[in-house]
Amino acid sequence: MFKELDPILHSQLRLAVMSLLIAVKEADFTYIREKTNSTAGNLSVQVQKLKEAGYIDVLKQFKDNYPQTTCKITPKGIEAFEEYVKALQQYLQAGKEG
Amino acid sequence: MEDQKPLTEQESLELITKMIHKAKNGFHESGTSAILWGTVVGIAGLVSFSEIQWNFSIGFDIWLITLIAIIPQIVISIRQARQRKVVKYEESSVNAIWLVFGISIFALSFYNNVIPAISDKFFAADGFELLIKNTKTGESKHFVPYILSASSLFLLLYGMPTLATGIATKFRPMIIGGILCYIYFLISCYTPSKYDLLLNGIAGITNWLIPGLILRACYLKERKENV
Repeated sequence: MFKELDPILHSQLRLAVMSLLIAVKEADFTYIREKTNSTAGNLSVQVQKLKEAGYIDVLKQFKDNYPQTTCKITPKGIEAFEEYVKALQQYLQAGKEG
Repeated sequence: MEDQKPLTEQESLELITKMIHKAKNGFHESGTSAILWGTVVGIAGLVSFSEIQWNFSIGFDIWLITLIAIIPQIVISIRQARQRKVVKYEESSVNAIWLVFGISIFALSFYNNVIPAISDKFFAADGFELLIKNTKTGESKHFVPYILSASSLFLLLYGMPTLATGIATKFRPMIIGGILCYIYFLISCYTPSKYDLLLNGIAGITNWLIPGLILRACYLKERKENV
């Protein structure tokens, strides 16, 4: 029985954000935007969706009078990411065998 | 990157690999701290060796520049914390290693300065006196103990954080620098103190200055590519 791929993660930009955040402790919004080559507007929407799902924490603060948004993956996000990768592996394994 | 495009399983896996690779490899420290401390320790070691070797004095203890260097280090740390866009997992561990190293260096300096006089007092309190005898003249005189080959202990201490950082960050120049430091330590156990000071200076250069300059070159190259 195949596990269903998590619809929150099975989207290009959200998956890219989660893959970045799983590899680092925390990252600035501008860093994520640079690495994903996304627009600020689109990224902002996807970050909000990940936050609502409880997969990331978003900290908004002021640094030297400039707003700064820092994102960090949550334990729930790590678990969901690991489940997503396991499910992917199942699909790919089935594809090879089939 | 768009979000509407449907992903196949293969594409998802490739995207994950690509982003993790970007996060792991796309960031270099500026190397400023390593250059600062490499220069300071390098100069201090070479100057103190030169003073003994060529019998002159610059009028003050050159190692005091390590205390002065704390001021620019604080400025560098604050500036880097402000400019930082991403914090890697290994960074926290590496920062902790260097903080503990800083404390240990000052603890060792304290030990080297305090132990001789304290030991002398303890011997006296127990009714003993250390004497040193000139085997040529037969003359004996009071001897205040000192830490033998104290510079070797510093070399041993320099090697630890450098090698640990090199291994944690997979940065080969620091791994080589750390290993060299342990080699200098072994050599210094067999050499007179003035050469131990020379080895301290060389350690500063190979441990921190050279890896720092390499780090700096990587950082500047990365910045140029991102412009």
